Amino acid sequence: MSSDGFFKRAVIIGAVGWMTVFAFVPNILVFLASFGTTSTENFIEPAATLRNYARLMDRTHLDILLGSLRLSGLVTAICLLTAYPFASILARARKPVRNILLLLVVIPFWTNSLVRTYAMTAMLNSSGIVNNVLMSLGLIDAPLAMMYTPGAVVLGLTYTLLPFMILPLYAALERLDRRYLEAARDLGASPWRAFWRVVVPLTMPGIVSGCMLVFLPAIGMFYVSDVLGGAKAMLLGNFIRDQFLTTRDWPLGAAASVTLTALMGLMLLLYWKSAARLGREAS
Amino acid sequence: MKRLVLLVLSLLLASQALAASKELYVYNWSEYMPDSVLEDFTKETGIKVVMSTYDSNEALYAKIKMVDAKGYDLVVPSTDFVSRMRKEGLLQPIDKSKLSNFGNLDPKLLNQSFDPENTYSVPYMWGSTVIAINAKDPDAASITSFADLWKPELKGKILLPNDMRGVLGMGLKRLGYSLNESDPAKVGQACELLMPLMASVRVFDSDSPKQALLNNEVMAAVLWNGEAYIASGENADIKFVYPKEGFSLWVDNLCIPKNAANVENAHIFIDYLLRPEVAAFICQEMGYSSPNLAAKETLPEEVRTNALVYPAPEDMARGEFETDLGQAVKAYEECWMKLKTE
Repeated sequence: MSSDGFFKRAVIIGAVGWMTVFAFVPNILVFLASFGTTSTENFIEPAATLRNYARLMDRTHLDILLGSLRLSGLVTAICLLTAYPFASILARARKPVRNILLLLVVIPFWTNSLVRTYAMTAMLNSSGIVNNVLMSLGLIDAPLAMMYTPGAVVLGLTYTLLPFMILPLYAALERLDRRYLEAARDLGASPWRAFWRVVVPLTMPGIVSGCMLVFLPAIGMFYVSDVLGGAKAMLLGNFIRDQFLTTRDWPLGAAASVTLTALMGLMLLLYWKSAARLGREAS
Repeated sequence: MKRLVLLVLSLLLASQALAASKELYVYNWSEYMPDSVLEDFTKETGIKVVMSTYDSNEALYAKIKMVDAKGYDLVVPSTDFVSRMRKEGLLQPIDKSKLSNFGNLDPKLLNQSFDPENTYSVPYMWGSTVIAINAKDPDAASITSFADLWKPELKGKILLPNDMRGVLGMGLKRLGYSLNESDPAKVGQACELLMPLMASVRVFDSDSPKQALLNNEVMAAVLWNGEAYIASGENADIKFVYPKEGFSLWVDNLCIPKNAANVENAHIFIDYLLRPEVAAFICQEMGYSSPNLAAKETLPEEVRTNALVYPAPEDMARGEFETDLGQAVKAYEECWMKLKTE
């Protein structure tokens, strides 16, 4: 009993300590830095100014933000549309098949995602695997220009982030009580209507968490756009990195980062609100 | 991209560096030193070399400043950053009495204003910016100047460095200004000129631009001479020109950070790199110019006379060294952001 209690306490203290040191404190530092000013001597001088946020409000920075949001939105939509059918097949498959499929979803995580992104260049470039196969089959005469296009960035992000959509959807669909579906059909709902009015609302928590897990990282994964997109578009992730490493404008980078965090927080809040509303409607 | 992994790795390594003695932590440009040089050095001296890499002086400077100039024993900044880091006390003096091969260096590259008497730095390699072209493409084959890159036929076939000064320098040179122009109006003029070129760019890359050239993704690339040298070695169709308007030159220098842990080993390694046969080998492998006169003599004829590795004097005359911009850098940054978001 007492050793059990000790173990429990050790785990909790460990986890809380870890989060405090490596998540909470750094975030507080970034938050404070966003109110500072730059100097040539040090990276940052303490201050209490909102100038950095004001600087973020110009046309160029808003363009960067909108471009990033649009790209992440597209990637999220594609992930959702492909992952949903897959997750329902997964949830209905027999146990051995399901385990194999789940394993296949997880296997890519065994390789670093940066390495997988470089591997995609070997697939997509002019003398790459896809073009060679298509040309030897006689389907095309000249190599398709697939590398360094916005499409390649969307493909790369979708590929990298798809498992983050599949897993929460699978969890939601697997828990779905099939009897609701039968009841809907018995009461005369068409399959489409039953899906739309019963399955989708009941799996909404899975849909929302999947979308969060895809949308937010897609904004930050600047290396995919650098490697596959030819670094042509400045995205929010690139912008923040450049402020810290290249132009050494830490306060501006911190302000951009805080804005992004606030945006994420706002979206979580909306989700909780809507989940609470759904909960009330259900009861 | 690569930087992200390296950032994490180098932070891990930096924490271990303090405990070791038979080790040497080198922070170098990517694709700038053959692995076999490190292996041979370890075989001979027993000193294990751990190398991490960066792809811009800015990244190196930010990192060294952040870790308070410890964790690394040897870094390789370009001239303008040597002077900045020296002034900010991030470097420590190099003991020349420990460098028996220092005399091999070209006196013309020593004792420059960025580091008088070479108190803090020893030249490693120097090089230049060139335009590499794939001669199979008729539109690219006729390129002789930066201005030619604006030709509409080259739309979607161009690679530029993912580097603010590299790209702005092209615009400034086309207008006949200095690479180090400090007048914001002139920088703005260069920016306007560059704007339409952005639509022709297929990819920005300073990490390994030769790849896009070798994969036939682009037909013309603005890159460093060493990259062009390796690419032309792998594909004979790849030629090069020193742009008519002028181009940038740089010297990268071996320096020891102020709070390095393995100072003795760093000196041993610098002296090793200054050996004629080692410097000559690196020069042949990487295709950049060696400041080591004794090494140049041992180079094979075809490397010594290769205009990519050692530009002819009439080409050299158009080269210009990049210097620290000071506050003028703001105008450059503003333009770079605009170019990247249009």
